[in-house]
Amino acid sequence: MPTDRIRNFCIIAHIDHGKSTLADRLLEATATLDSRQMRDQVLDSNELERERGITIKLHAVRMTHRAEDGRDYVLNLIDTPGHVDFAYEVSRSLAACEGAILVVDATQGVQAQTLSNLFLALDAELEIVPIVNKIDLPGAEPERRRHEIAELMGIDPESVLEVSAKDGTGVEAVLEAVVDRIPPPAGDPSDPLRALIFDSYYDQYLGAVPSVRIFDGTLRPGMSMTFGAVDARYEVTQVGHMRLGRVPSASLGPGDVGYVVAAIKAVSDTRSGDTILDAADRAGELLPGYQEVRPMVFAGLYPSESDGYEELRDALQRLRLNDAALQFEPETSRALGFGFRCGFLGLLHLEIVQERLDREFDVKLVSTVPNVKYEVVMADRRRIVVENPSMLPDRALVESVAEPVVSARIVAPSAYIGNVQRLCHERRGAFKSMSYLDPHRVEMEFELPLAEIVLDFYDRLKSGTRGYAALDYEFLEYRPGDLIKLDVMVNREVVDAFSVIIHRENAYHHGRALVRKLRELIPRQQFEVALQAAIGNQIIARETVKAVRKNVTAKCYGGDITRKRKLLERQREGKKRMKQVGSVEIPQEAFMAVLQLDGERA
Amino acid sequence: MIAHVYVHAPFCARRCVYCDFAVTVNRTPAGATWLAAVSREFGTLRAWGDAPLAPELDTLYVGGGTPSLLDPRLVGRLPAALGRGNRNAGPKRDGPETLEWTAEANPESFTEAVAREWAAAGVNRISFGVQSFDRATTEWMGRLHSPSDAEAAVARARTAGVDNLSLDLIFGLPDTVSRSWETDLHRALDLSPPHVSLYGLTVEKGTQLFRDVTSGRTPRPSHARYQEEYLLAAELLADAGYEHYEVSNFALPGFASRHNRAYWSGASYLGLGNGAHSFHDGRRWWNEREWEEYAALVAQNGHGRAGQERTSPKRSRLESVWLGLRTAQGLEVAGRSVDRVVRRWEARGLATRDDTAVRLTPLGWLLLDDLAVELDLALQPVAHPPPVDAPADRANLST
Ligand SMILES: Nc1nc2c(ncn2[C@@H]2O[C@H](COP(=O)(O)OP(=O)(O)O)[C@@H](O)[C@H]2O)c(=O)[nH]1
Ligand code: SF4
Repeated sequence: MPTDRIRNFCIIAHIDHGKSTLADRLLEATATLDSRQMRDQVLDSNELERERGITIKLHAVRMTHRAEDGRDYVLNLIDTPGHVDFAYEVSRSLAACEGAILVVDATQGVQAQTLSNLFLALDAELEIVPIVNKIDLPGAEPERRRHEIAELMGIDPESVLEVSAKDGTGVEAVLEAVVDRIPPPAGDPSDPLRALIFDSYYDQYLGAVPSVRIFDGTLRPGMSMTFGAVDARYEVTQVGHMRLGRVPSASLGPGDVGYVVAAIKAVSDTRSGDTILDAADRAGELLPGYQEVRPMVFAGLYPSESDGYEELRDALQRLRLNDAALQFEPETSRALGFGFRCGFLGLLHLEIVQERLDREFDVKLVSTVPNVKYEVVMADRRRIVVENPSMLPDRALVESVAEPVVSARIVAPSAYIGNVQRLCHERRGAFKSMSYLDPHRVEMEFELPLAEIVLDFYDRLKSGTRGYAALDYEFLEYRPGDLIKLDVMVNREVVDAFSVIIHRENAYHHGRALVRKLRELIPRQQFEVALQAAIGNQIIARETVKAVRKNVTAKCYGGDITRKRKLLERQREGKKRMKQVGSVEIPQEAFMAVLQLDGERA
Repeated sequence: MIAHVYVHAPFCARRCVYCDFAVTVNRTPAGATWLAAVSREFGTLRAWGDAPLAPELDTLYVGGGTPSLLDPRLVGRLPAALGRGNRNAGPKRDGPETLEWTAEANPESFTEAVAREWAAAGVNRISFGVQSFDRATTEWMGRLHSPSDAEAAVARARTAGVDNLSLDLIFGLPDTVSRSWETDLHRALDLSPPHVSLYGLTVEKGTQLFRDVTSGRTPRPSHARYQEEYLLAAELLADAGYEHYEVSNFALPGFASRHNRAYWSGASYLGLGNGAHSFHDGRRWWNEREWEEYAALVAQNGHGRAGQERTSPKRSRLESVWLGLRTAQGLEVAGRSVDRVVRRWEARGLATRDDTAVRLTPLGWLLLDDLAVELDLALQPVAHPPPVDAPADRANLST
């Protein structure tokens, strides 16, 4: 296919503005799939994604369309994930496109995520095709929305299309605009191969299957291929396009979007952003923008029942086959036993892994509170990295502790400027700049310790802005701070899983709030339980869980043992879910107590 | 063979504030209908083979409700209804070979006539629902007897020749009820009953007390008072020579209730009447709870059964642990994780242990449910569970 007949594009939108519905319509209009097949089989192939309404993994679908000029075009629709955790993956899929359809809900207008996505697309120098969707709705104001978008982008309102993805109005015009306005890809089929990996998935039989966009050269079966970032060679056995399933083709040339099968062991070899090269004819330069995935958030994952360790290990190993960003290594906790310290891209990634472990592998987990990675300079100048707060060495041995700081961009309606400022201030943020995107919307920049974001920042931000704020951040640098370790002792023994690294100023307040919360969460035991928060040897807060005095219903009248046994069985199930720390039984929720301190944090 | 029979007499003159038993409030109970229903139920079960009674019953227990509210001759006809003829009838001395026939009575309805008829029929153990000797307290409970009624009832039983008496008392009342538990205990002891049962008040759903507590009219009974009064009673009664032979039962030597023991030793028992439970041959079954429904069901089908279950090794382990720990005899257990648990209990004064058994102390009995669950978990086979039908758990676990 000559490159001038190819168009590579994605759809970007604020959540619920109709991205998936429009994608369905495009696939129908091009007779690629009917919408039921599509829902069931392609874009939302992951159950979790469908339920949460987010796209975790990227997918690309090839359509063919006969345009008004009478010629056939290949349209590759590349799907993008919608969450900051996957910002890097989004940028890689945008890098595979020349254009983007920007969808705006005709009743709601431009929203925070519309902006974040638009900026990313402009950064990637994509041609934007703006559309106003849901014009069939009674409250729709397409005219007003067109002007709003036109003003935002500095374009003619006439170029904003009006669409109803629901009833199909305007969908043909969208396809025409894709063909007309989005530039065709460039590239020379005879140059040395350079193909961008923007996604990959693991197939039980085929191994890791990367999705690629060819920039230069040709990829065909029989070639020996290699990567820019990974030193490995594989023989290509099949290439093709995604439609309903894989459709093999003879080769992929410049501008093409498709897949490669080469019996690749794991997705850790097919990293997003990496370049696939011809092993026999390596291109001189790699495609720009590759970054190692760096886990930003860490948490201990432990089997909730003591015999689940091996099961958890196997499940993590299998998950890693198709989630290159997941990292893990074994660790032991005095409180929780044998488990793994795992690294994640962000909180959503953590949640997704937890949920997949639960659903796909049926592994029941206890998780510690997520934390970031610290860089510690020891008094003897040695440098160490701390991924588990309980491992922070004694204060006396430490010269300095540095934590990751991010540059965060928050887009929110201007009415909430005060709330956003207050929250960021509470979270040790430094205000950098603010600019009005339009009379009602501002973009604010802060430098924030990542540790503060990792707790419940996003939830708080959302609730402080009625859900309108969008957050985006990127790693800036490691910065030393007055950071100390706060321990929690249960009956005078430190419980490692409760330790946190925290700024000294917040430590007192935090320690008090934490033990108070734990007192609520830890049920009464057969003896009194002392809960203490401590910094080094200094106790800063204390609470007591009183001993239970009575747990008996003495009478078993008329021999009714069944009812009694059922009560006991319920108690037994409750007890099983407890973690035994020394002789104290601690419910699993308690290990997440920090996240429930809500307003109580300083 | 079943050697223990419970018959439920569901009628009460008034419902006590805390009561959630299967009870029908009726001053003139449908006694004849009741006896007919119970007889018919028994006949059906016998035809099914579910009621293979031993030639000599060991215990017969008529509970309620308020059996003393019934025409006493009806109670006297129970052995006949159970196909016993008159073999067991007639006053007999207490002893292991003899039937232990208990009937429950409330003081105000335990008239001379009841005492006489029951004794003549062979009732040789009477359990009185006294609850308290304090007038304000019994009034608060919604009970119909005065302190002197209780004393008079005991006297009437003795006059009729029944000496094996038990008094029920309730402790752990809400703080607004200003009753002296110690005084009540002394007044009970003054009557020298050979047997005393103590029940901690519990707030059960559906009772007046539950409504009062949830609406805030009555404070929730405190665990502290419960604990204090239970421990006080255990001490006082032990000093008076009573054996604390089960979590809520005390007896002078030789007067422990054989019927209650049947429940917690895993013996078969047959329960007749509404709400009654039976256990035989690895099966438990129970009857319709409400008297009216039970009666209608028996009239229609000849039986009042509402449900049943098979005991499984896992179930019976939890039951045996719980039942075993209830008793002063304790529970025979072995194993490393069990040792660890029991050592912790000993250190906290909750249990004692010798080569044969683990026994809870009064302090431990206060936490019975908790401890039973803890021990059951410690007994859980970790790697290879025993085959399902083998009674494997019993091998190292008997009460
Ligand atoms: N009335 C109407 N509803 C639409 C239209 N497009 C999408 N929707 C509805 O809007 C909701 C969100 O659409 P969806 O495509 O899932 O949004 P996404 O989160 O951007 O993928 C769904 O309930 C759709 O049925 C439209 O043109 N008209
Ligand atoms: S006398 Fe006993 S059975 Fe009757 S209502 Fe009172 S407590 Fe319940």
